Amino acid sequence: MQKIFLLLLISFFVALQATGQDQNNAIKLNGRVLSTDQKPIAGATLSSKLHGTEASSDDDGNFSIQLLPGTDTLIISHIGFLQKRLPLNQTTNSSLIIVMERSSLELEEVMVSTGIEKIPKERATGSFALINNKLFNEQVGTGVLNRLQSITNGYTSFPLRNTGDNLSVVRGLSTLSVNIAKPLIILDNFEYQGDINNINPNDVENITFLKDAAAGSIWGAKAANGVIVITTKKGLLNQPVKVELNTNLTIADKPDLFYSKNISSGDFIDLEKYLFSEGYYNSMLPYPEYYPLSPVVNLLDKANRGIISDSEADAGINAFRSQDVRKEYEKYFYKNSVNQQYAISLSGGTKNLAWILSGGFDKNSSELNARYNRVNMRFDNTYVPFKNLEINSSVYYTQSKTTAGRPAVGSISAMGGAIAPYTLFADENGNPLPVYTTYNPSYLDTAGGGRLLDWRYFPLDDYKHISNQTNIENLNAVLGIRYKVFTGFSIDIKYRYQSQHTETEYLQGQGSFATRNLINSFSQLTPGSVIYKIPKGDILDLSNSYTNSQNLRSQLNFSKQWHTHEIVALAGSEISESVNKNNYYRTYGHNRDILTYVDVDYTNTYPILPYRSNGFIPNSSGFGKRNNRFVSFYANGAYTYKTRYTLSASARRDASNAFGVKTNDKWKPLWSTGVSWEISNEPFYKLQLLYYLRLKMTYGYQGNIDPAKVALTTIRYSNINPLTLTPYSVVDNFYNPELKWEQVSMLNTAVEWASKNRRLSGSFEYYEKKMADLYAATRIESTMGIGFATMVRNAGKMKGRGFDIELNSINIDRKFRWATHFIFNTYKDKVLKLKNPSTLLGSDIAGSTGFTGLEGYSPFVYFAYQWAGLDPATGDPQGYLDRQVSKDYGAITYEGTKFSDLKYIGSQFPRIFGSLGNSFSWRNFSLNIRVIYKFNYYFRRESINYRSLVNQSIGHSDYSLRWQKPGDELSTTVPSFIYPVNNSRNSFYLNSEILATKADHIRLQYINISYDLNKQVFKKLPFSQATLYVVSNNLGIIWKANEFGIDPDYNNNNIPPAKSIAVGLRISL
Amino acid sequence: MLSIIKNTICTGIIILVSSYLFSCKKYLDKKPDQRLAIPSSIQDLQSLLDNYLQVNHRDPFAGELSADDYYLTTDDFLGLNEVERNMYTWGKSNLFAPGIDNDWARCYNNVNRANQVLLNIDKIERLPNDGAGWNNAKGHALFLRARSFLFVVSLWSAAYDMASASTDPGIPLRLNPDFNEASTRASVQQSYDQVIADLKQSISLLPDISLHTIRPSKAAAMGTLARTYLWMRNYDSCFKYADLCLQLKSDLKDYNELSALSTFPFSGLQYSNPEDIVNFSITGPPASLNPSRAKIDSGLYQSYDTNDLRREIFFRTNTGVNTGTFAFKGSYAGNSVLYDGIATNEIWLMRAECYARSGNKVAALLDLNTLLIKRWNNTVPYIPITAIDAREALDKILMERRKELVMRGLRWMDIKRLNKEGANITLQRNVNNQGYTLVPNDKKYALPIPDDVISLSGMQQNER
Repeated sequence: MQKIFLLLLISFFVALQATGQDQNNAIKLNGRVLSTDQKPIAGATLSSKLHGTEASSDDDGNFSIQLLPGTDTLIISHIGFLQKRLPLNQTTNSSLIIVMERSSLELEEVMVSTGIEKIPKERATGSFALINNKLFNEQVGTGVLNRLQSITNGYTSFPLRNTGDNLSVVRGLSTLSVNIAKPLIILDNFEYQGDINNINPNDVENITFLKDAAAGSIWGAKAANGVIVITTKKGLLNQPVKVELNTNLTIADKPDLFYSKNISSGDFIDLEKYLFSEGYYNSMLPYPEYYPLSPVVNLLDKANRGIISDSEADAGINAFRSQDVRKEYEKYFYKNSVNQQYAISLSGGTKNLAWILSGGFDKNSSELNARYNRVNMRFDNTYVPFKNLEINSSVYYTQSKTTAGRPAVGSISAMGGAIAPYTLFADENGNPLPVYTTYNPSYLDTAGGGRLLDWRYFPLDDYKHISNQTNIENLNAVLGIRYKVFTGFSIDIKYRYQSQHTETEYLQGQGSFATRNLINSFSQLTPGSVIYKIPKGDILDLSNSYTNSQNLRSQLNFSKQWHTHEIVALAGSEISESVNKNNYYRTYGHNRDILTYVDVDYTNTYPILPYRSNGFIPNSSGFGKRNNRFVSFYANGAYTYKTRYTLSASARRDASNAFGVKTNDKWKPLWSTGVSWEISNEPFYKLQLLYYLRLKMTYGYQGNIDPAKVALTTIRYSNINPLTLTPYSVVDNFYNPELKWEQVSMLNTAVEWASKNRRLSGSFEYYEKKMADLYAATRIESTMGIGFATMVRNAGKMKGRGFDIELNSINIDRKFRWATHFIFNTYKDKVLKLKNPSTLLGSDIAGSTGFTGLEGYSPFVYFAYQWAGLDPATGDPQGYLDRQVSKDYGAITYEGTKFSDLKYIGSQFPRIFGSLGNSFSWRNFSLNIRVIYKFNYYFRRESINYRSLVNQSIGHSDYSLRWQKPGDELSTTVPSFIYPVNNSRNSFYLNSEILATKADHIRLQYINISYDLNKQVFKKLPFSQATLYVVSNNLGIIWKANEFGIDPDYNNNNIPPAKSIAVGLRISL
Repeated sequence: MLSIIKNTICTGIIILVSSYLFSCKKYLDKKPDQRLAIPSSIQDLQSLLDNYLQVNHRDPFAGELSADDYYLTTDDFLGLNEVERNMYTWGKSNLFAPGIDNDWARCYNNVNRANQVLLNIDKIERLPNDGAGWNNAKGHALFLRARSFLFVVSLWSAAYDMASASTDPGIPLRLNPDFNEASTRASVQQSYDQVIADLKQSISLLPDISLHTIRPSKAAAMGTLARTYLWMRNYDSCFKYADLCLQLKSDLKDYNELSALSTFPFSGLQYSNPEDIVNFSITGPPASLNPSRAKIDSGLYQSYDTNDLRREIFFRTNTGVNTGTFAFKGSYAGNSVLYDGIATNEIWLMRAECYARSGNKVAALLDLNTLLIKRWNNTVPYIPITAIDAREALDKILMERRKELVMRGLRWMDIKRLNKEGANITLQRNVNNQGYTLVPNDKKYALPIPDDVISLSGMQQNER
């Protein structure tokens, strides 16, 4: 379609300009050859079909050809581009623009963007992974990043053992600090400092991952975790107005709340009865104001005191046995989630103006009825007022509003633990039931003699009285000027302004338990009156955060081609500042309707109910301001000889105002270099099977910073001491003159190849990286008094290596087309050095929940206590102490275990991962299926933690599998329950090898089915093309190594998202 | 037209690039977080010390937990974590959780805070118009360091004994905040000398009356110094500083003004008790010292006269399954948290004890009766305490000290020092069908240093 338009356009110009031409003389036709992305094509051959005259285009794509008058056809050809035939009628010497298309799908995307420049992939020495528009849009979603893990070569995510959160990394870890392990995100040309969810995926043209030093070191001290460059859609010069519409609807089921393995209500009730008989609650029962206690315990107590009979108590208790609080959550709080997405874009271009205008609207309603609305507006245009000058301006505006929904499963908890698993939120008629999470009902019955506000908590209604809204407004505007000074040289100046305002409004209405509780606590009961030190009314917490960042970049570009040489180089500097201001404050006695509030006394203490201890009214107000400044200089160049040998180099120096760092240390030069050799272009090369073959090798450095780290002693003011009315502070940073930025070096070697017609193509890359000066927590003896058990220092050294392999094949290419995209990644790393490791006890390593930082092992290595089975007589777990079977848990879990006594399990990070995509198409149908896999890693399976069970009412279904009588040890590995609980016994079991579980799995990530409608087939279509698509996501696991029904990506009480299905329509007018 | 644009652009670029180069250094001098400050003013340093939640309300509880003001039932004992169970039964090891959430770490956290101030304060010019502020910050830091060292030496070293103090292992005396310096143990003598030197210097710097009792004053430092000398059994010096302290502040609260019916009778007086010289409290309280578990020795409870108001003000009669036992509710913190600051009642008792030990029976009993009349039901005539001689007076003063200063964190050190005087106090615990005994002057009176500190620093562990 586009081609037809172009041809029409060109013919139109040609026709226009041909009139008035003197027909008797040979005429000269001038013009320019450009690729579809407006890059000049040098060396294109132009020939006249009838008369055989020839010409070729220069560096800027300009050409001039002699033609004889009359009808003729101009043939334009260039390697890598589709040959073009241009019918000529009457021509003039006006400038003709010829746009050439890349010769195959694979070659279409050969330009890679680093955010600083765009370079043809075949001349790039660095390692890039490209996600083109088609692949990107095989999935549907509100955000940009989520869908990338399953389709990007070398990018994966894995769950962190301590939190269950997923961490996404490019080529494994480059740091030991989770908080600074995220890749740098560039939107077009600048670091995106707003909320990444602001970006509408419909505005994305493609995404480039910069994976090695040669690709990423241009981003210097922030690039060590890899760089993700998001390129937005642009308008093109000389293009008719194009309208694109996209809309889709995604519906997901309720998540499976019963996925989490909770103790059954019956087991829990029996346990409570046992604990009651053992006197566990004796110290709590006399204090109903401190201990809410569960309904069963309260019934047992009543029976014990003769208030009710034993049979009444039993009847009440037995009624609880069939109840499950998850059913309540599911019934009252969960629903299907529904996401709607609408996007429109208009683009077009005249001879000197290219523009795109787009808008998007997303409206999501989650499974908990949380709302998310987002509006995007974008206008991007390029104006070429005259030759050599290009002005680009773009404005991207986003507004979003998030409203919190209903309570998620497990979020309602009681004083010191979970609510009982048999809790009900409503009676059989659907009326709300109170849940006692803070005080015992017997206290509330008498508290305040009925003069206080209702002090009960009704989960079914409570959330209705709470409103939690976050509004984000983001503006990202860029103004750029590019000017060609003289041949080969151009200057780029770009200015970016980004501002984000985040406003959170958290209103806890007087109807909410939290507010009533606070009002009651501060009520002063005097005979005859109640004085409310916290006024009746709502409590409103407002917070505002403003981020303003500005970047100014100036850059000099140089590009020259002569004979067999080609040089492309640039040098530039960038100055940037990011200012973050925030403030938050609370008002009491807020009235939503008339917008009033009541002052409270923050400076005196008042007796607080129910304990009558004195306290201040909670005050939450504050201000903050952060300011990060950077000054950077960079240069980058590539020299190509005979189009087959390329040598590249880059360097960057960054300086920042990281507080107190000596100026010398502020500077960190980072450099890279690379070579590439296109063997298949050598005259001696004859291999037909590998029609295209190129070798690449790069080496260089990148950095990683933590803006929170400064080297001098600093204090942080926290609040006002209400007693002395003077500010108070804490030591925030301890003097550490050795503090540096982390440094990562990487060696990358790659082979790229393709068969003759690109039926088969792929790349094979091997990398090795060394990471030095890594921030790592080293243990600090508590006598040092710093108030932290560990101290972060530049203490770590690590190395990693891996393969990134990608294969593309077109298996069948007839009416029925079948193509395969296969990604295979391996990754292996180990800590080379970490200060102060010798003092780590074996027990620390087995009990570690995050980076263990053990020299010679992966930072996420998994070690566990050796397991010697259950004691057949008692069901006690048995370990080893001094190589003897032992039950001295105190010694095993503390000093008794040497490192050599631990069992090596493996890595907690997948060593092998990747994905397999298959695309099928037949007529107008196409089907894409993507499977992802992660192999060779382990996770710690959750099991019953008797300490949490007794103290916090958090139980695991393994409780029912516990050893109960001799012989059980043959069929179970779950230790017997003992009371009192032995914490060491507990932690031995939970960190023993018996719970180490293989995490390997294969997951069906998505299926995309689409149907194309176009005018060629359906002549009566009111638009040129339409695609109807259906995408199904979160389809679950196809195969897993563990037999426990656990999805390794969702351990740790996280519930996997429910299957979703999206239906959408994409229309081009 | 074209050339104008050309020239403008070129000039612009030149200006831009050169301005980067020249303004770079200044541009980078901006501090990244405006709430961050290099401690460089008196206000900065004072603000570290005014962090009252960290400084004043995180005192060690190991002494009180190990002492005999309370006991636990087997049910409650079994519900405790191992560390507390070990400490309750004077176990051999694992009495402190590793890491920073233990008494040792909390004491040294305050030492570090004080050292941060002391390191920086001499770099700040002492301006005539803020001389008081400068003195206060330095005096405050010295007081805090001395007080923390005193806790550490009382818990982790044997009782002071002049004969062996110069060889008995004392505590690490960290005098600057540099965490690269290794910790080593000084002798007991050196440890006490450091406490005394710091306190004496702070007396010369602190104001007579502080802004609030959450900050130390001269009287607070004198009271702490008197306590130090009492623990060293240097009664002359103890007398000197107790007496000086009482000259500055001697108020006593008449307990007739309190309501014994209150859940916590001192709840309204947390920061306004006239007896409070400097306000501190014990961390937590830990599970075992929570009034819901800690039971008061019934012999101790019965020793209060029925007209002694403390009987009802200090103690609650438990109900339900705990009927027949008593809980403590008389903390000067006004809640379940245990107050362990310096209050005038302790000073009066210290001076009375010193008088008695020096043979001045009359003065000793006068001090004792001055205190006790404030504790007596004013509707019943108070019969002053009498004694045949100073020796008997001393016994009665020590008995009243036990009753007046119950759950104040002082009992453990009293047992240690009085056993050195031959009091022969043997502690007994019976729990879970097992008996535990701690004989006078046992090595276990010096608690084991947290094991992780020993393994990281290589310091000498106390023998148990």
